[in-house]
Amino acid sequence: MSKVVGIDLGTTNSLVAFANGGRPVVIADESGDTLLPSIVSLDGAGTVYVGREAQRRLLTDASHTVYSVKRFMGRGIEDVKDEERWFPFKVSGEPGGVVHLHLGERELTPPEISAFILRELKRRAEAHFAREGDFDPEVAAAVITVPAYFNDAQRTATRDAGRLAGLEVLRIINEPTAACLAYGLDKRRDGVVAVYDLGGGTFDISILRIDAGVFQVLATNGDTHLGGDDIDRLLVEMVAADLGLDPATQADAVQAVRKAVIQAKWDLSEFDEAHIDVAGVPGRAEPYRRRITRAEFESLIAPIVGRTLEPCRRALRDARLGASQVDEAVLVGGSTRIPLVRREVERLFGRKPHTDLNPDEVVAIGAAVQADILVSGRREMLLLDVTPLSLGIETMGGIVSKIILRNSTIPASGSEMFTTFVDNQTAVDIHILQGEREMASDNRSLGRFKLRGIPPMPAGLPRIQVRFQIDANGILSVSAHELRTGIAQTIEVKPSYGLTDEEVERMLIESFEHAQEDVEARMLIEVRNEADTIIGATEKTLRRPDFAEIAASRLTPGEVALIEAALADLKQSMGAADRNVIQVKTAALNQATQHLAEVMMNWTVQAALAGRTADDVAARGR
Amino acid sequence: MQPDTTSAVPIDPCKHCGTGAPVDVHFCPRCDRILTLGRHGDYFTFFGLRRRLRLDLKDLEQRFRALSRLFHPDYFHNATPTERLASLERSSYLNDAFRTLRDPMGRLEYLLKLEGFTPKESRDATTKVPQGLLEEVFELNEQLEAIQDLRAEGASASELALRLHAARQPIEANLARHEEQLDALMAAHDARLEADDTDGRREALTAMRTLLLERTYLMNLLATVRREAGAGEAAAS
Repeated sequence: MSKVVGIDLGTTNSLVAFANGGRPVVIADESGDTLLPSIVSLDGAGTVYVGREAQRRLLTDASHTVYSVKRFMGRGIEDVKDEERWFPFKVSGEPGGVVHLHLGERELTPPEISAFILRELKRRAEAHFAREGDFDPEVAAAVITVPAYFNDAQRTATRDAGRLAGLEVLRIINEPTAACLAYGLDKRRDGVVAVYDLGGGTFDISILRIDAGVFQVLATNGDTHLGGDDIDRLLVEMVAADLGLDPATQADAVQAVRKAVIQAKWDLSEFDEAHIDVAGVPGRAEPYRRRITRAEFESLIAPIVGRTLEPCRRALRDARLGASQVDEAVLVGGSTRIPLVRREVERLFGRKPHTDLNPDEVVAIGAAVQADILVSGRREMLLLDVTPLSLGIETMGGIVSKIILRNSTIPASGSEMFTTFVDNQTAVDIHILQGEREMASDNRSLGRFKLRGIPPMPAGLPRIQVRFQIDANGILSVSAHELRTGIAQTIEVKPSYGLTDEEVERMLIESFEHAQEDVEARMLIEVRNEADTIIGATEKTLRRPDFAEIAASRLTPGEVALIEAALADLKQSMGAADRNVIQVKTAALNQATQHLAEVMMNWTVQAALAGRTADDVAARGR
Repeated sequence: MQPDTTSAVPIDPCKHCGTGAPVDVHFCPRCDRILTLGRHGDYFTFFGLRRRLRLDLKDLEQRFRALSRLFHPDYFHNATPTERLASLERSSYLNDAFRTLRDPMGRLEYLLKLEGFTPKESRDATTKVPQGLLEEVFELNEQLEAIQDLRAEGASASELALRLHAARQPIEANLARHEEQLDALMAAHDARLEADDTDGRREALTAMRTLLLERTYLMNLLATVRREAGAGEAAAS
């Protein structure tokens, strides 16, 4: 039987995991990487690159490269106006319709871009199963995670992406819930758990009760447009102002800045200060360098972290719990590595949050566990999730009449009676909305439905019962019956921010036409990925505040110069089309840093034995 | 536990084997397959409970989890389309039922509806002033008018707040009295149910319907006062 995997389709990185009755594992690529950067790039010949190769192309061909596509899923052009100018690609679309992303001549929708990422994960998993000697390595179905606060359009867009990637999407589950499933599996303890999930682009808070294997979500809240990307943008804006960069004409330079500020952001989670280093800024002779302390960084991002706290309080209110009744707080998402985030979560819940699970991997693991439950039908564990937003219809005067309230356990259903206003009227228009506001115009439009086939009767006589069903994926379906005649009505859906079934079908056919696997190109990419890994590791060591101390006391004279030369040599060769060249240089850097790697290992062990934390080590280095 | 339904138990056949099954049964007695929801009893019988108004919430929660484990769609992934639909419908119904019964007022409203105690036109219930509250409503309207006049004359915020507080107090006190009375009546209702005293039960339900309507009206009055206070704040800022 073909495999069912769990996929975390993230804003910044995506992962695939698999559980087969046993312990779930995250599947790595050929060079041992579990994270696939959620970046897609197209070259002039129409070849599609996904992951780290696409990440590299962000610096050389930014306008043909898409990152953070998740922020566009199920959204309209009016939602993304504010941030659009910092993206290297062009964005277009009709107001109230699907966004189109321009990559050179090709125009793609967010589900199509996401499908490239999913297809790469599918390939990665299949290669893994084949390596393991599996007779049937095919991956035909998946459980895919989404932010808990994703609305119907965003969930549907994710499901469409799965279909376009040739995956049957068995279930859409919420990221914090998936994380809790992985966490609960690990701890096997009952109680109330708060999952704080701050990722690259989205923020979720979910409050769950774990009781004898049942994971019941009590309330969820969040912001689908809040995450590490917003922090990066603040830093990019700061540096761009220093350099006088214009994002409209200098997309590649903006991406070089973005890469540098992300590096500094990561460093600041470990050290008290960091440098933003940008080499090769156009129109500038010397490289750009700016020192940033953790205190400066924290005052810069405080408003962003602050925006996560109100949703937490609202979720607690909806769960009818006080912060002190939460037994455990669990951190999920890369942005929860930031010390300020940890402190704020600790302050809010009055307890140290759990950090012992890898915040990048925990969601994919939970998705794999859920996939295993679906396939095996085993009943030790059960997820009971909720719908994050109220569902309603527009009534007279533009007021919303709520039919299913937020935080209702799903599956959930509701119904509403309709009638006609004119004699022999055979159709009724229904406008469906999601959100908490009173006026229809303040909520998210999910779609307009036309109810047809009402038997001709005098006005007001038909009694049409429209039934709204939210399934276990959090996705809505609608059915209708005229009660006097028992005749079922057909419903025509015009999704507000989604694709129609016909559009998905057409895209599916197009994607087959474009699919072409270039083995040679793939091998080159793998070699580059390996080179990137060692370059990253070496640069990270060289950047350590205590590196001068280490070099002086542990390395031989001239060793650093040798390492730097090998590093520069490899970086120089990265663009080469001949993969042998890169392989040779990679081996050279590997050799040059072998002694350094041993030294660093001993240094870390000694620091740990002496009971010093990384911060102490860093402080001493200055 | 004997559900409190009428003596004639309606029969709904199993879609799979055709065996008849009482509507309050979740799985076919013969082939053990999950039954389509079809015609069904009510939220109480679905949980295997009598129509009591005072429920042990811990027990209700346990029943909810146990039933979730029986019909959640996760466990019917590889089943036939009929069973999958049945699982979806049964789970939805379970979730709706739990949400309703868990809340004491939601439970009461539901039971009144079930026993045929809903007013003919629900619109009347919210717009028409209940007899017992006429005096109170006149009083409040006068006070609110006075407050609006004072605001127009530029009275201080603290004086307005004091007036609003005074207007709110009798309503809040009345609301508390209503909840106390409802609580007592719920206990009385359950005692009559145990004693199989049908007339006594209906008497309690009738009294509760009146109280519940008044309570809804009182809550709306409080919302009006809050809006008035909000308007004051908006004008001040």
